Amino acid sequence: MLAKYVARRFLASILVVLGVTAITLALMKTTSGSYVPGIDLNPSLRPEDIARLRADLGLDRPGWEWYATWIWGVLHGDFGHSMIDGSTVWSHVADRLPNTIELTGTAILIGVLIAIPVGVIGALRHGTKTDHTMTVVSVAGFAVPQFWMGLILILIFSVTLEQHGLPWLPSSGAYSAVNGGDFFDRLEHLILPATVLSFFYISTWSRFIRSSMLEVLSQDYIRTARAKGMSERRVVYLHGLRNALIPLITLIGLELPGLVSGGLVVEVVFGWPGIGKLAFERALQYDYTTVMGVTFFATLLVIAGNLLADVLYGVLDPRIRYG
Amino acid sequence: MIGPSRVAELEMPGAAVETAAGRPAQSYWNESWERLRHNPIGMMAGVLILIFALIAILAPAFSAVITHFQPQSIDLSATFRPPGATHLIGTDELGRDTLTRLIWGGRVTLGVAFLTVGIALTVGTATGMAAGYYGGWIDDLLMRFVDTVLAIPAIFLFILMSILIHPTPITLAAIIASVGWGSVARLVRGEVLSVKQRDFILATRSIGARDFRMMFRHLLPNVLPVLIVAASLGVGQIILIEAALDFLGLGIQPPTPSWGNMLTNAESYFYHSAWLVYFPGIMIFVTVLASNVFGNAIRDAFDPRLKT
Repeated sequence: MLAKYVARRFLASILVVLGVTAITLALMKTTSGSYVPGIDLNPSLRPEDIARLRADLGLDRPGWEWYATWIWGVLHGDFGHSMIDGSTVWSHVADRLPNTIELTGTAILIGVLIAIPVGVIGALRHGTKTDHTMTVVSVAGFAVPQFWMGLILILIFSVTLEQHGLPWLPSSGAYSAVNGGDFFDRLEHLILPATVLSFFYISTWSRFIRSSMLEVLSQDYIRTARAKGMSERRVVYLHGLRNALIPLITLIGLELPGLVSGGLVVEVVFGWPGIGKLAFERALQYDYTTVMGVTFFATLLVIAGNLLADVLYGVLDPRIRYG
Repeated sequence: MIGPSRVAELEMPGAAVETAAGRPAQSYWNESWERLRHNPIGMMAGVLILIFALIAILAPAFSAVITHFQPQSIDLSATFRPPGATHLIGTDELGRDTLTRLIWGGRVTLGVAFLTVGIALTVGTATGMAAGYYGGWIDDLLMRFVDTVLAIPAIFLFILMSILIHPTPITLAAIIASVGWGSVARLVRGEVLSVKQRDFILATRSIGARDFRMMFRHLLPNVLPVLIVAASLGVGQIILIEAALDFLGLGIQPPTPSWGNMLTNAESYFYHSAWLVYFPGIMIFVTVLASNVFGNAIRDAFDPRLKT
C-alpha cells in the first residue's frame, strides 16, 4: 500500500521536476537571449570570438535542444560545467552545501529545542499572562523582516560592541580568512545568522505546537488516561506531547527546501557562503548551468520533503491511510 | 396537546437564546461584521492600516506641507544629517530627507502589496473555479501546472523574473503574484468541490442555469469568505517578500524609494548613521504586524471554525 503510494508520488515528481527545470531554462533563455556569461569582463572580444564562445557553451542551439542535452547529462550524473568559471556545477554545490547545512541545520535544531517547550507551556497555561505574552512575541516574530533583523544584530553585536572596545561578533562569512576555520571560529560566525533564522522557526513552530497540544489535550483518550489515575506529568508528556508532535514532522519536512532557498536572504545579509547565495549570484550573471543545477537540486528537496513528511506522518500516526 | 407552560419546561437554559424567536435573523455578512467590531485589537490594527494607506495616498500633500522636501531631491551639502529640526529623522547619503522618502516609500510598498493580492486572487480564483467546476482533464491539467509552479523555490522564480522583466511597481506585483496565485487556486478548487455537492447547486442546474451563471452567481459568493480570509492573511507576507526583493536589488529600483531598497546600502553607513537602518525596518515591521493582526481578526470573524 505504502510502496504503491510512494511509487505513484515518485512518477508524478518526475513530471514536476521536468516542468520546473523547463520553466527555469525558458525564463533564463528569454532573459539573456544570446548573452554569453562573463562577456562584460573582457571588452576586447571580437565578434568571431563571441560566436565561438557561444558555440562552445551550446548557446547557439535552440532551447529545447540545450534542454535535451542537459537532461541527458543529468541522467548520467553530469550537471555540466559552470559557464562563468568552468569548474563543474557539482563541485560548486558540494563546496557550498556543507555551509548551508551547518547554518540551516543549527537553526532548525535551535528552533525545535526552543519551540517545543514554549508551545507546551503555552498550551498548559492556556489563557494566562504567560500564554498571552508568548503569543504576542511570536505574532511579532512573524512580522520582523529577516534581513532587517540581521542588520540590527550586526549593528548591535558587531559595530556598536566594536566601537566601545568590547568583544564583538563577526558580521560576515562562515569563518575567518586568516588563521580561521577551527571550531570556535566557525561557531563565532554562526551565532548571528543562526539566531535570525531560528527566531523565525521558533515563532512559527511554537504557535503550531501550542494549538496542536491544546487539541490533543481535549481528546477522549487524555480524559481516559486522567480517569485511570495516571499522573498529570505522564498524561501531558507521554500521551499528549507525543501525539501533538506528529504535525510538527510535516512542518519540518516542508522546511527541507529551505536548506537551499529559505536561508537565501540571511546568507546574503551575512555573506554566508551557502547554496542560496551561490544561486543568487549566479542567476544575476546568467550562469545557466549552475542555476539549472541548483534549481534541480532545490526542487528535488521540495518533493523529497513533502514525500518524507507524508510518509513519516503515516508511520507515526496509524490512523492515516494512503489513498 | 402541549400548552405554553409545557413549552417553557421543555426549553433548556442556554438553548433558548439560539432560537429564531429570541434573536433576529442576521445575514452572514452582518454577523461577521458584528464579530469583527467586537475585536478591539483587530479593529485597531485595521484602523492603523487605513491611516497608513491614507498617508500613502496623500504623500504629495505631506511632502508639500509638512516635510517641505521631495523624495528624490538631492542636497549634497546636507548628507548624513542626524535627526533634527529641519530633517525630522535625518538624511541619507545623498542628503535626501528620510521622512519624506519613508512616506513615498510606503506609497510604493502598500500599492504593490494590494495590487499583488488583487492579481493573485483574480488569477487564482479563475483557475481554481475552472478546475473545480469542470473537473476531469481540465482539473488535472490546471492542478498539475499549479503543483509545478509551487514546487519551484519561490525565490529563484522571483530572481529570474525580475531579471527578465525590469521591475516597476506594477510588474513587481505581477512577479510576486506569479507564485501567490497557486495556493489561492488550490483553496478555491477545494471549496468549489465541496459547494458543488450541495442541493441548491443541483436545484440551480435543474432549472437550466448555464456554466457562467453557476460559477459567478452561485459558486463565487460561497467561495468569497475563504477568499477574503486568504487575502487579509496574505498582505503581511507579501509586504515581507516585496521588502526582501527590494533589499536584494531585485524589486523597486532606486531612486524610487521603497522601505526595502532604503535599507540596501544601510550596511555601508552603520558606523556613523544608524538611523538610516532603524526607520524603514520599523515601518515594515509595524505594517506587517498590523496586517497579520487584522488578518487574524478577519479570519475569526468570517470563519469562526478556524479560530485558534
